[in-house]
Amino acid sequence: MKRFPRSLGFDRFSGAYMLGAFVIVFSIWKPSLFATTATLHSVTADKAISGILALAILVPLVCGVYDLSVGATVNFATILSVLLVKNGWSIPLAMLIAVFLGGVIGAVNGFIVVRLKVNSFITTLGMASVIAAVQVIVTHNQQPLPPNIPIWNDITQKTVLGFQVIVLYMLAIAFVVWWALAHTPVGRYLYAIGSSPEAARLSGVRVDAYSWLSLIASGTIAGIAGVLYGSLTGPSLSFGGGLLLPAFAAVFLGSTQITPGRFNVWGSVLSIYVLATGVRGLQLVTNNVQWLDGMFSGVALITAVAVAVGRQRSADERKRRSLSSTRQLSAADA
Amino acid sequence: MTVSEVRALDVRALTKTFAGGRALDDVDFAIAAGEIHALLGENGSGKSTLIKVVSGFHRPDPGATVLIGGQPLAFGSPLASYELGARFVHQDLGLVEASSISDNLAFGPGFPTAFGTILARRAHARAARALEQVEIDIDPDALIGSLSPAQKTGVAVARALLAKGSASVRLLVLDEPTARLPEHEVVHLLALVRSVARRGIGVLYVTHRLDEVFEIADHATTLRDGRRVASKPVPGLTRHDLLHDLFGAALEHPLRMPSAAGQSPLIDADGAAAAMSGPVLSGALLSGAVLSVALLSVDGLCSEVLREVTFAIEAGEVVGVAGITGSGRDALCATLFGAGRRDSGVVRVNGQPLRRARPAEAMAQGVAYVPAERKLQGAFMDLTARENISISNLQKLWRWPRLRRRQEGQEARRWFDRFSIRPNGAVEQLLSTFSGGNQQKVVFGKWFQRQPVLFLLDEPTQGVDVSAKAELHAALFEAARSGAGVLISSSDVEELATTCDRVLVLRSGRIVAELRGAEVSPHAMSRAALGIDHQEPILPQGTMT
Ligand SMILES: Nc1ncnc2c1ncn2[C@@H]1O[C@H](COP(=O)(O)OP(=O)(O)OP(=O)(O)O)[C@@H](O)[C@H]1O
Ligand SMILES: [Mg+2]
Repeated sequence: MKRFPRSLGFDRFSGAYMLGAFVIVFSIWKPSLFATTATLHSVTADKAISGILALAILVPLVCGVYDLSVGATVNFATILSVLLVKNGWSIPLAMLIAVFLGGVIGAVNGFIVVRLKVNSFITTLGMASVIAAVQVIVTHNQQPLPPNIPIWNDITQKTVLGFQVIVLYMLAIAFVVWWALAHTPVGRYLYAIGSSPEAARLSGVRVDAYSWLSLIASGTIAGIAGVLYGSLTGPSLSFGGGLLLPAFAAVFLGSTQITPGRFNVWGSVLSIYVLATGVRGLQLVTNNVQWLDGMFSGVALITAVAVAVGRQRSADERKRRSLSSTRQLSAADA
Repeated sequence: MTVSEVRALDVRALTKTFAGGRALDDVDFAIAAGEIHALLGENGSGKSTLIKVVSGFHRPDPGATVLIGGQPLAFGSPLASYELGARFVHQDLGLVEASSISDNLAFGPGFPTAFGTILARRAHARAARALEQVEIDIDPDALIGSLSPAQKTGVAVARALLAKGSASVRLLVLDEPTARLPEHEVVHLLALVRSVARRGIGVLYVTHRLDEVFEIADHATTLRDGRRVASKPVPGLTRHDLLHDLFGAALEHPLRMPSAAGQSPLIDADGAAAAMSGPVLSGALLSGAVLSVALLSVDGLCSEVLREVTFAIEAGEVVGVAGITGSGRDALCATLFGAGRRDSGVVRVNGQPLRRARPAEAMAQGVAYVPAERKLQGAFMDLTARENISISNLQKLWRWPRLRRRQEGQEARRWFDRFSIRPNGAVEQLLSTFSGGNQQKVVFGKWFQRQPVLFLLDEPTQGVDVSAKAELHAALFEAARSGAGVLISSSDVEELATTCDRVLVLRSGRIVAELRGAEVSPHAMSRAALGIDHQEPILPQGTMT
């Protein structure tokens, strides 16, 4: 008996089937608008940043730590990198500094959570507010103009096989996070801490160090996402907050996919695109109403958590029924 | 119809199938009002599952009926079960650690309120009365987390018995209530159970301690692989009858019950024994103290008090720790390992001093620690058995660029075979789907895999059935023979008497007696633990037949 049957069953890939269903329905409904490669390319690129942000949230969540500050971090990293470039810094250095700053924010979060023992939810909620304030100080609330350097945009917008290269970056980051979580001791330790911090400590896991590390990782990944956003879309003072909820929705929805019951990388990435496809399709059908994204993500987040709870029961129930029926058959034979 | 004519519990054609297989298969049985009914069976035989069906936690397969006090139970509803008068003390107690005793007592029947406001004083008084009933002397405002396992069991019993309005209690179910209780508290509990039964309440009593069956049960039902294999009145039964019901033909090769280190190897020849003398052990000195403790003190703010505890364990020695609840017994192993803080004293493992509160460093010196609280401290319920076993040993499985998953699975399966963990080879199942005793064996697998030089064991065989207990003990003796030291802290004095070369008895945080060789007997331990003059002649243990 395997816990994760290597099947393409609905229980592990309901998201993929849902994605298929969205594509079919909207293609029939709005064939000229929806079923185009342009839509495919734009959805994948648009949501790459959300995907990276979901990965940032995922890492600490595996060990039971919430990072709500990634929305603010991603925003600040965008602004900072753009400002530095416009002030004549070299592009790689500007990017490196912005990413590093993301890591520093994560380290500070970690210090507060691990050393001062403040609940992670509170810590990162407060930190988000602080970062937003610092951003106002730095920018005087003036949205900087995008740097007028072609290479700056090429970093993310260059196309490879029709897709913007940002999609590849996202996949590369996903690959690294997947490797770290699923194939290294560090990942195991994080899952163990998420399961029971005390049992982890008594099994020799350095709980504090790894919790801290997970927040540094999330800050750093958010920093990367911010820099890429600056190149992809240009600076904005307020986009970060809006990405937070969809990212959380994707991570929780992702925990019902592929390895149900566990936060995982590919489930999260899949879910980002399931949600994005649903939203894009509905936008086309409803002529771009503004509230769709928020409504869809909010409902998805709540549904995902409800589904995760309900699924275990139904899986048991199904198996039980099939075993019961075989028992009746063998009883009939006898 | 009077209460006594109605059966407390009547179970018919009960089958329960999980994703992994069938846990209960067409089980029938009944408990009369006022009867104490023992439910027996090996680890994983389905006892807890049966209880969880009656409590409304699990929904059985179609076709089953359960009557509580003559009324049919609507399955899958804990509330329905409660309202029919069934009360439960589950194997894992189900207390909220972060809340006080009086809050925990109020979670079931509700808080006393006036206009929606909790009447704290009344709740407190009610809790105090309930605790008095079970003869526990603690402040009802104490947090559950600060109690010893024994005290927690008492609170869970008190909560189960609390009346709510007019709903009368028909059935009290106790799932291994004595698994972690010291002998004199077992006596209290049994007396309490008897008085409950005298009130006309049917009692379902699950235990692995066969002696208790003869002491209190009127009737005994035995499960094997989810099937009812026997249901007999206790008067007239012998211990051998029970063992036969429990293990069937497997009993033909007699139970392996070694008494001390230095016996012939009891380990199967499949190489598991070889693992016991791995690299860590060969580096250890085969003579000299594996563990030496000098003037260890703990102030008792977060745990029990320890005062200037000083002792040593030689290589190859199995040493026991006895003592009543609150004596410091519960704190000793945890403090040595670094799970809890110590205030002063020196702890050395093979001569190396251990810094306080550093479990990872203790492990690096070859120390293993099995905590008493399996669910919270000992294991990861929502990880797989494989991941539970490998967690302390991941560095060995790591070869750039990834963990060797196959090797990890093989290793886990090896421990499944070694300790006969059921279901057989199900290393990919979540730990929460294993029975209590099998979970404990998984925890043992995790530590044995590291080939420790020092075992610190708190209630090591809690919830483990008679034959598996013997297997675990045999494994410990084997480790001791190859030079490891073993420290067993247990509320089960019988267990200490059968396994230990030497027993330290704690009282009020101090070592008050050290029993060796022939002095190591359950009576001597209990007497020293309670502070009864131990000049009195030590009576030979009465044997059960
Ligand atoms: N939620 C679950 N999902 C799958 N299998 C389960 C689940 N709960 C129990 N089982 C299986 O059902 C069987 C019976 O387990 P149960 O807990 O009833 O045993 P038990 O008799 O109480 O044993 P113990 O003495 O060790 O406590 C075991 O094989 C166990 O693995
Ligand atoms: Mg059980």
